[in-house]
Amino acid sequence: MRNPINKRIIRDLAKEWKRYAVLSLLMSFMIGTVSGMLVANGSMLKAFDDSYDKYMLEDGHIELKEEASEDLLAKMPDNITLYEQFYKEVSEVSDGNDSAMVRVFKIREDLNIACVIKGRLPEGKGEIAIDRMHADNNGINIGDMITVNGKDLEVVGFIALPDYSTLFKKNSDIMFNAIDFDVALMTEDAWDDLPGSIKYQYAFRYITSPGSVYEEKDWGDELIEKVAVICATGGYTDNKDEAEQLADNVDEWTAYLESVSSQADELEVRGEELEERSALLEANYDKVLAGDPEWLAESASLQEDIDALQSDADALAAEQDKIDETIDKLEELEPYEDNTNEVTDFIPAYANQAIQFAPEDFGSDVAMMQVLVYVFVAVLAFVFAITTQNTIVREAAVIGTLRATGYTRGELIRYYMLMPVIVTLLSAVLGNVLGYTVFKDTVVGMYYNSYSLPAYETVWNAEAFVNTTLIPLVLVLIINLIVVAGKMRLSPLKFLRRDLSTSRRKKAVRLPRLKFFSRFRLRILLQNIGSYIVLFFGIAFVMLLLSFSIGLPETLSHYKNIMTQDLISEYQYILKDYKDKDENIITTDTESAEEFSMVNLETIDGVHVGEGITVYGIEDDSRYIKSELPEDGVLISSAYAAKFMLREGDTITLKEKYSDKTYTFEVKGVYTYMGSLAVFMRNEDFNKCFDLDEGSFTGFFSSVAIEDIDEELIYTVITREDIMALSIQIDHSMGNYMDYISFACLIIGIFVIYLLTKIIIEKNAASISMVKVLGYENKEINSLYINLTTGVVIVLAVVTSLLSVSGLTAIFAVIMYSMSGWFEVYVSFISILKMIGILLASYFIVSFFDIMRIKKIPLSDALKNVE
Amino acid sequence: MSEKELQEFLHVCKVYKAFGEGDSRQEVLRGMDFTVRKGEFCVLLGPSGSGKSTLLNIIGGIDNADDGYISIAGDKLRDMDEKTLTRYRRKHLGYVFQLYNLIPNLNVKENIEVGAYLSDSPLDIDELLNTLGLWDHRYKLPNQLSGGQQQRTSIGRAIVKNPDILLCDEPTGALDYNTSKEILKLIEDVNQKYGNTVIMVTHNSAIQEMADHVIKLRDGVVRKNILNDNKISATELDW
Repeated sequence: MRNPINKRIIRDLAKEWKRYAVLSLLMSFMIGTVSGMLVANGSMLKAFDDSYDKYMLEDGHIELKEEASEDLLAKMPDNITLYEQFYKEVSEVSDGNDSAMVRVFKIREDLNIACVIKGRLPEGKGEIAIDRMHADNNGINIGDMITVNGKDLEVVGFIALPDYSTLFKKNSDIMFNAIDFDVALMTEDAWDDLPGSIKYQYAFRYITSPGSVYEEKDWGDELIEKVAVICATGGYTDNKDEAEQLADNVDEWTAYLESVSSQADELEVRGEELEERSALLEANYDKVLAGDPEWLAESASLQEDIDALQSDADALAAEQDKIDETIDKLEELEPYEDNTNEVTDFIPAYANQAIQFAPEDFGSDVAMMQVLVYVFVAVLAFVFAITTQNTIVREAAVIGTLRATGYTRGELIRYYMLMPVIVTLLSAVLGNVLGYTVFKDTVVGMYYNSYSLPAYETVWNAEAFVNTTLIPLVLVLIINLIVVAGKMRLSPLKFLRRDLSTSRRKKAVRLPRLKFFSRFRLRILLQNIGSYIVLFFGIAFVMLLLSFSIGLPETLSHYKNIMTQDLISEYQYILKDYKDKDENIITTDTESAEEFSMVNLETIDGVHVGEGITVYGIEDDSRYIKSELPEDGVLISSAYAAKFMLREGDTITLKEKYSDKTYTFEVKGVYTYMGSLAVFMRNEDFNKCFDLDEGSFTGFFSSVAIEDIDEELIYTVITREDIMALSIQIDHSMGNYMDYISFACLIIGIFVIYLLTKIIIEKNAASISMVKVLGYENKEINSLYINLTTGVVIVLAVVTSLLSVSGLTAIFAVIMYSMSGWFEVYVSFISILKMIGILLASYFIVSFFDIMRIKKIPLSDALKNVE
Repeated sequence: MSEKELQEFLHVCKVYKAFGEGDSRQEVLRGMDFTVRKGEFCVLLGPSGSGKSTLLNIIGGIDNADDGYISIAGDKLRDMDEKTLTRYRRKHLGYVFQLYNLIPNLNVKENIEVGAYLSDSPLDIDELLNTLGLWDHRYKLPNQLSGGQQQRTSIGRAIVKNPDILLCDEPTGALDYNTSKEILKLIEDVNQKYGNTVIMVTHNSAIQEMADHVIKLRDGVVRKNILNDNKISATELDW
């Protein structure tokens, strides 16, 4: 026989459907949000992993200066397969938009195959397929005409290229740009006809995939070295040492032939000279015969010179074999010389931002949401527990009777646990249904708004199940078990006597001499202290969400302001080398330009191991770093000091990214700069420290654009826009998100306060009814119960608003510890007022319903419940 | 069960119980001692504060004696741990209180099923509903019933598991004269039909006339222990 008490569950659900519907909806909403995020991330990551084989994603690509000859290609390392991926980088003009830059490829058939999101691939000469994300951003539709480098083309399809899931124009760019940059495909014929210079890019795949990321890095380093050698030697060798030896030999041979050649030239000149002297002597031969001493001497000297010339000529003739041999050797190298080329770019897939940025971004915000869900489920579990506790109090006599007749404690605990468990399970099911549909679509939509992603399929996510179903269920079980089991520990007799207080205190707390109404209110507060404590947690949770939704955008905008004020310089030009090809030091006439050096190291300890630290070498009396640089130590940026909790006198040790070489510096001061985690030292010390040439540097700081340096010599330029791009992008993608969270807070606030004040009023229904019987008017009753709760809510709102800002600061710091960079939470006083305002607005809406509820309590309750 | 065991089915042996400490200490039971035979209708009679409800709770195993013991069919309750005691109550005891303590959102039949669930061989519920006169009300919720009907339901819940002992704590205390008589008749019928031992606490001295055994209590001790050979039916009672 099934326990007949359980038949009550359905009836309880029907009777209290509003309460359970609210609880269930709130829980479903939170569970759905996280489930949606996890499912979306899981599905997108799966689509990404699958795209490696499905769309044959490259393992990397190489760009050469010229088209590689067949012979050169044949000499490429045998652990890779190369695929021609030439492109033309030209202008793209579409209706109503500024000119953009488009990288046009031929339709790819073997590698980096396009995923057609909408429309089709081009089939004729006048057609083009462009990136879906770029099209969205610029309002380009299928069928629209765009002008690509002067050619009018019809857009026939939107595509996602696996090697451009994030539209980074250059790998060194700080932020992607899907508005001004596009990638496109055309048919081979159409591509050939498209005007524009060709970039000779070759993508590659390893024949057997590397076993790990580390192996991939090692392979990548080895590959670029080999390819560079192969290109430089025209395929003669892939061995760097051999190539260097060859270069030395060629230099030697060339020098030898040059020296032989100059010797021959010299002999020729001397021969001509002797011929002239000989002719002169012949013309004056009569003087020689006459015994003229001057001519006699000339005759003897001439003979000597002729002998010497002959001797030198003989010596040179003796070298003929060696000369022939040397010429042969050089002639042997001629075919390779025809094949020589130059690597202009090499990006392995693991270091390619266009490939890696999106998948790395997936799920970066899930951890915070997960914690929020746990906090929220815990709050709801307490709401359940308080509700159940009140039910137990109300049903004390029944419980006592059941226990007296032999119902075990376990049977009753199980029964009272059943409702929270059922509601949580229902919520989890509903939440997951929403998660796998609506919320997942929302999250995926957000990703599609930022990235050019291929089509995906929703996949079952075990992590989502654990996080959204198991953990909430366990939380609800544990919290309710503690409360219910705690109550059920009481003896049946205590239940029968309705004496459910677990504390030994029997006497009422003595209250100070206050007016009657104040003392009455205090009594209500003390009586309902448990409910008010849960109300505190509920409000604290809503406040935390509010501080997140209001504080984070404000923090970002504050960060932007700081960045604007803090910028080292408007432009930072990073050069490929400080000398040009002719070994001349690169200079500029730009007045504001100032040399600086820069290297990126990483941390080996502290709050975030592996954090990138930029070490700057600064000129003395710099106009950009306005602080005197110490001679025997370094300054660190305030962001670095704040994140790693460093002070003057501390010692920091940093290492090179891909080697074990470490550098230790003594902190001599903190330089106010929140823009990045940086170390500043004198450039002279910098060059010594990093074993660089005296006087060498990395680039220029400048307050205006530098126009007299060849673009070929510049690696990248960091501008104000680049530095701001990160915060602008976060701000942009979080903007709607935050408004949505603020609105959700209002709703959650209303529901949480509704549930908790409902509990308080229900618990006091008998007392309220009794004071009604005694003749109190509704106005007076409201002043007792509603005014008290209003006061409590106001106090809690103020307290929790401050606590939540501290909480947000702490949570944010922990998140920043696991990420690169640093900025601190900034919530202004106005924002705190706004948070309190929203919370109180929620409360006043609820209090209207509470007043109605109090009004509805019948006078008979007082008498009915006396039993 | 031997004749002696039948004679001493329930033994209340020198039971002491006090509440409070120090000056406020109050001795409620002071060496209470008597036996009850199996199948007997026993009434514990006494004024308020005489300790009768406390004694009933100790007999029912929901309260403990400070000294002395209760044995039922030879088993001493004080030797039982809480689990055994619960199992004991589950198998052998039925409780009826002055207030009916019915589950508000279960109907009459379901409230009786709550009792039946505890037994491996419960009585037939439909037959019991007829015996209780509740057949026509079986689908009603407690708040749709009169006090008498609610008490009938609570008696049904107590006896449906056919307990060896039915403990009744002022079962008519909240009922009017006629309804009280109906309830007493019902308990009498149940006692005769199912042979349960009934121990009823009351302050209504009229009820003693329908009992096989009357134990009068005052100030925590047994003042009189009477075996009533001339008991009358509940219908004949008058007060």
